Amino acid sequence: MLANTVSLNLIELGHFCAYLAMIVALVQGVAPIAAHLLKQPRLAQLSVNASVAVFALTTIGGLSLVHAFVTSNFSVQYVALNSNTLLPIFYKVAALWGGHEGSLYLWVWILTLYTMIVGWHGRKQYPEHLPVILAVEGWLMVGFFGLILFLSNPFTRLFPVPAEGNDLNPLLQDPGMVGHPPMLYLGYVGFSVPFAFAMTALITRWRSELWVGLIRRWALIAWGFLTTGIILGGWWAYYELGWGGYWAWDPVENASFMPWLLGTALVHSITVQDRRRMLHAWNIFLVISTFSLSLLGTFLVRSGVLSSVHAFAVDPGRGAYILAFMTIVLVVSFGIFMVRGRYQEAEEAITSFLSRESLFVWNNVLFLVACASVLLGTLYPLALDALRGEKITVGAPYFNSVMVPIFLAMILLMAVGPLVPWRKANPQRLRSRLLWPAAIGVAVTVGMFLAMPRAHWTGPVAVGFALFALSNLLTDYLRAVAQRRLQLKESFSRAGVKTVLGNRRHYGGMIVHFGIVIITLGLVGSGLFRSETTVTMGPGDVAEVAGERLQFEGVTRFHRENYDTVQGRLTLLNSGREVKPERRTYPRQEAPTTETSIDSTVLRDVYVVMNESNDPNKWAVHVYVNPLVRFIWSGGVIIIGGLFLSLSGRRRARGAEASAAMPEAAQ
Amino acid sequence: MNRLLFYLRVSVCICGLAFLVAPTFAEQVTEDPVERQMLDIAKDLRCTVCQNQPVSESNADLAHDMRNIIREQIKAGKSRQEIIQYFVDRYGDYVLMKPPKSGAGEVVWLAPVVLLAIVGVTGFLFLRHRLRPSLPPPPKLSKEDAARVRAAREQSQT
Repeated sequence: MLANTVSLNLIELGHFCAYLAMIVALVQGVAPIAAHLLKQPRLAQLSVNASVAVFALTTIGGLSLVHAFVTSNFSVQYVALNSNTLLPIFYKVAALWGGHEGSLYLWVWILTLYTMIVGWHGRKQYPEHLPVILAVEGWLMVGFFGLILFLSNPFTRLFPVPAEGNDLNPLLQDPGMVGHPPMLYLGYVGFSVPFAFAMTALITRWRSELWVGLIRRWALIAWGFLTTGIILGGWWAYYELGWGGYWAWDPVENASFMPWLLGTALVHSITVQDRRRMLHAWNIFLVISTFSLSLLGTFLVRSGVLSSVHAFAVDPGRGAYILAFMTIVLVVSFGIFMVRGRYQEAEEAITSFLSRESLFVWNNVLFLVACASVLLGTLYPLALDALRGEKITVGAPYFNSVMVPIFLAMILLMAVGPLVPWRKANPQRLRSRLLWPAAIGVAVTVGMFLAMPRAHWTGPVAVGFALFALSNLLTDYLRAVAQRRLQLKESFSRAGVKTVLGNRRHYGGMIVHFGIVIITLGLVGSGLFRSETTVTMGPGDVAEVAGERLQFEGVTRFHRENYDTVQGRLTLLNSGREVKPERRTYPRQEAPTTETSIDSTVLRDVYVVMNESNDPNKWAVHVYVNPLVRFIWSGGVIIIGGLFLSLSGRRRARGAEASAAMPEAAQ
Repeated sequence: MNRLLFYLRVSVCICGLAFLVAPTFAEQVTEDPVERQMLDIAKDLRCTVCQNQPVSESNADLAHDMRNIIREQIKAGKSRQEIIQYFVDRYGDYVLMKPPKSGAGEVVWLAPVVLLAIVGVTGFLFLRHRLRPSLPPPPKLSKEDAARVRAAREQSQT
């Protein structure tokens, strides 16, 4: 009884703190404005203190929700809808972001955390501009808290209190799915920081060399989380959804892919702005666009415009609020950009078409077109339906046809770019450096065409480009190591390590590109060279696909924590290992779900799904052989490793001395 | 109890023997070619009640029914084109996973090409506009001035 009372009070305390947080966020947003209007500069400092208070209050609210889940407090409606007593504790906590209200709360919680970090960091580094930065973040918080507290409140109570809750959607009871939304949100929200800086720069005419280095890190971190979230989502979809693939160009997947595309363009063009003092206005435009797409990505899932595997609850009130919120953000940010965008002229000019800055411009062109194409393909059917009542489908085959050639061009650019110096490249030297890698790429492509005449042309070309890129990476690195050895007379291994550590930004980037090469190979292997078969099997039957032979042994039935399962056992005759696909029945769900079983090696996955067949003694077994799928997930890990290396490098000196100080190793 | 154990041991022996025998009697099952053809057609058709899912992947009842219809039509000897047309006649272009290249779908096929052209040309023009070679080329001398320079040089050498 006492425990119950404590729980009741705790959740109401959390609720109250959430309201307080919104009010303090409002103060945070208003403080610099008031300071400016009332000519009281000291007032602006309020926003700095407010940022800490908002985080503390939001955390109390968040923890009270977590407590409600952990204690199975079903008087909280959100807990009753998304959890039950049988749920393992790990998933009870994760259920916080299993539904619409809770995941929005997580979003704003992360926003308050990032804002507090910016506040703490900025006190010393950029104190004059900090209040405005925090104010921008504060207004975003106000918008989100408004949505949460008035239209999507996770603290809503439920009386009479049910004895048992619903359940967390079984699809979400999975480690990959637990990690996917937080990673994505850490990415989306991460882009709010460059956004806040950009808006501050426009409003206060803050010279970009003073802040571009700062947002470079935030942009990379946000991009890293977004990449992780997307790959985690793909990995989860692969082993959970049972169709052998990992990316369906689902509108919700596209919603996360668009900010990723623009975010990639952004991290590249920030480098140009940082190094060569140009593209200021374009960068600000990119920052605003990337964050806008992050907001779109967050809201597209909840607007009711789409319904899919990801669908959250549909509600016209919420839809209207979200539309209004996004409109305000877009109008204000792009509006200020239109008026003030060119406040800083480029100090330098392009000196040659054949230069790294020029190639970065082409990089941005490709990523922009890619993002626009995905946006168009996703929204066009909806617009057509709304305006003309005509219905068409824009599905995976369309996106593959359109996007793959763009990706091929990107890989080619990625292969060549790092070898092209800044300002002006010497064509002869460049040609001699590219010659052998290009020859390797061409040889591989031709070889693949000859060996696999029926493969789609994109396969050999993609692999050729990827190996061209790989060869360039290796020769670039080895050349630098050789140079170092020549100058410093070091051993190969010592020079090898020192070269990398001596220029972490460059080699961090190269490792990320290497990760992309690996992912490309994985995509080609599993996308173009997948084999599959569907057969009805009884005990003792053997199926064969792509050289793999599987023997069906039988089924076992048993019960686990919160579900019953029928588990099939198949032996892979080539290796002796077993796969155990399942048909699971969760008590609160109507239809059984399948658990795929995957035998995974570096070179291929054998992926098995089992369903009932018409014959009660036999089972419909669907077997896929996916070559090189592991490369995709490993490539993701490599990318994160490269990102860590890049971020561990020393920051370039800020301020007017920047151009004189710290000349980096000749690149 | 002893009897039970005896029967248990006998059963285990029989099962053990069965294990030895089973592999040699294993039935190699191959995919039904109708099934393969059906999936090949189904992956290009959209499940009309799902979000962007092809008929080959969806678990919806309608998708199940559509797969059955495709199977029947394959067995009846219909061609791939005829089967697809059958569904288009009933559901419209909506049932195709790829939008048609003419009519309402034309925009979505042309747009990426047009976008690439527009953005690409913009990028090119931007680069050209901002292009400033490192040193401006020296101005060309007029004939008289060039003669004067030559004369002055010869004079200074004498």
